[in-house]
Amino acid sequence: MTAIGLQAPPSLGVPGKKRWAMVIDLRRCIGCMACVSACKAEFDVPLGVWRTTVQVKDTGTFPNARRNFMPRLCNHCDNPPCVRNCPTGATYKHEDGFVLQHYERCIGCRTCIAACPYNARFMLPRNRTRVGINSVVDKCTFCEHRVSKGLVPACVQTCIGRSRIFGDLNDPNSEVSRIVATQKTQTLKPELGTRPQVYYIKPDRIATEQVLSAPKSYAARSDAEAFYRHNNGSRFFGGMI
Amino acid sequence: MFEYMPMHIAPWGLEIVIYFFLIGTASMVFAVAAAATTFGNVAAPFKSFELTGAIITLVLLLVVAPLLIMDLAQPWRFLNPILYFRWTSPLSWGATFLLLFGLSILGFLYGIYTDHPYIKRVSAVIGSLLALSMPLYTGLDLMVNQARQFWATPALPVLFVVLSITSGAALVALVQLAMGKLGEDNARLLRFILAFSLGVTFFLVLGLVQSMVFGSEELQQVWGFINSDYSTEFWILGFVVGVVIPLALTVGPMVMPALDFARSPVVVTVAALCGALGAYVLRDVIIHVGQLPQLFF
Repeated sequence: MTAIGLQAPPSLGVPGKKRWAMVIDLRRCIGCMACVSACKAEFDVPLGVWRTTVQVKDTGTFPNARRNFMPRLCNHCDNPPCVRNCPTGATYKHEDGFVLQHYERCIGCRTCIAACPYNARFMLPRNRTRVGINSVVDKCTFCEHRVSKGLVPACVQTCIGRSRIFGDLNDPNSEVSRIVATQKTQTLKPELGTRPQVYYIKPDRIATEQVLSAPKSYAARSDAEAFYRHNNGSRFFGGMI
Repeated sequence: MFEYMPMHIAPWGLEIVIYFFLIGTASMVFAVAAAATTFGNVAAPFKSFELTGAIITLVLLLVVAPLLIMDLAQPWRFLNPILYFRWTSPLSWGATFLLLFGLSILGFLYGIYTDHPYIKRVSAVIGSLLALSMPLYTGLDLMVNQARQFWATPALPVLFVVLSITSGAALVALVQLAMGKLGEDNARLLRFILAFSLGVTFFLVLGLVQSMVFGSEELQQVWGFINSDYSTEFWILGFVVGVVIPLALTVGPMVMPALDFARSPVVVTVAALCGALGAYVLRDVIIHVGQLPQLFF
């Protein structure tokens, strides 16, 4: 399959190429947030923004109730609209399927944030204590720095239920290949043609359908508002920088 | 304790709305200023607006360009979209065209001051085309975002062009009225331009409304936002005050002799200013509401 405007062509199913992907088995996720913590620690992700999250939503009412967990991260799409939309090439497609950032090129125009169907991107705040990367767009990298050394991403390493599984989809012997081939999996918003590479097993509609995702958490709202206020003095729109 | 969801930021806010409005207005002011040079006798009434219009456009450009740059999180890298030009990004095209547009204005002014007809004509024609590209690229910037379904329609760039024609005509009318140069001929031509742009806006807005009513779940969510949080802005300020009333004032005299008073330059200016208000408000609603449905997904 071809995709226009990418630095590297889609590698899914291309012999001799790697196509890193993640499977998230929602039957195993217990919402411990260890993946979120590991990610925060790995990259010193600032307060108020996340490279990965676990969204929590409840269905039904007691006694017929259920709590649903939905880990979310960049889908490292094989046909990523954020890459096509970036005016400077700061966001680029790696030949092994990663969607990564050249921080020194990013102008902070936020067009990639608007383009991403998965809300996986965010602005780094202006001031950070230990890391000198500020006021640019950031996102999950599938821990490319670890994967290139033969390790798995930090969130996968720490997942206590083995809910997150990572590997090369082009390798027929990999665990992710076997799972995607034999289990019923689902991706988010496949109709947009982005070819996302995070596969979910047994997601609930409340987590996959956008219209069912109305805001419920006022704690999160006040937290986010405080973050924006401290970063620019305005609340929602244009308040990040 | 587990009921925790991250709030995602809406990437574009008030700064972008103001930029879209002002760059659209500036570009159409230039198109009017250059009209007599570009189109000859057809636009002869605007000959007297040539120098004033070009200077206004330059001043507006000197305001909006820094506004756009300061909206970037890394303002000192503002040349990167041109240095690392990406043909798939409307923003890259927009940044390049914006620079060329500025150069065209300078060329046009140079042509006027040195009385050099060739430079003036070339600058006018190329500058007018680039002026057209300004609102077009701002609409394209939104249109390409397939993830934001309300924006992902080819009608949006066209709507932004006609909104720019309206707000540009408003500024032209206001300045000419203030300078005492808005005669019958100018006012008639501006009224025709406004009738066209407002008429197209009216039907495009109706089209957008239809697409929401019959649209996907996300579009129906947008419809919900427009009829709740943004209802006053969209329906009263944007549609009634910004489109319907000025449309009635500009088209009215063509069909009803009783509305002959609307031919006067003052009424044309009032209609144009109403249209400019609508042009701003509709952009504001479109930019903000288009981002809302996904904030919590």
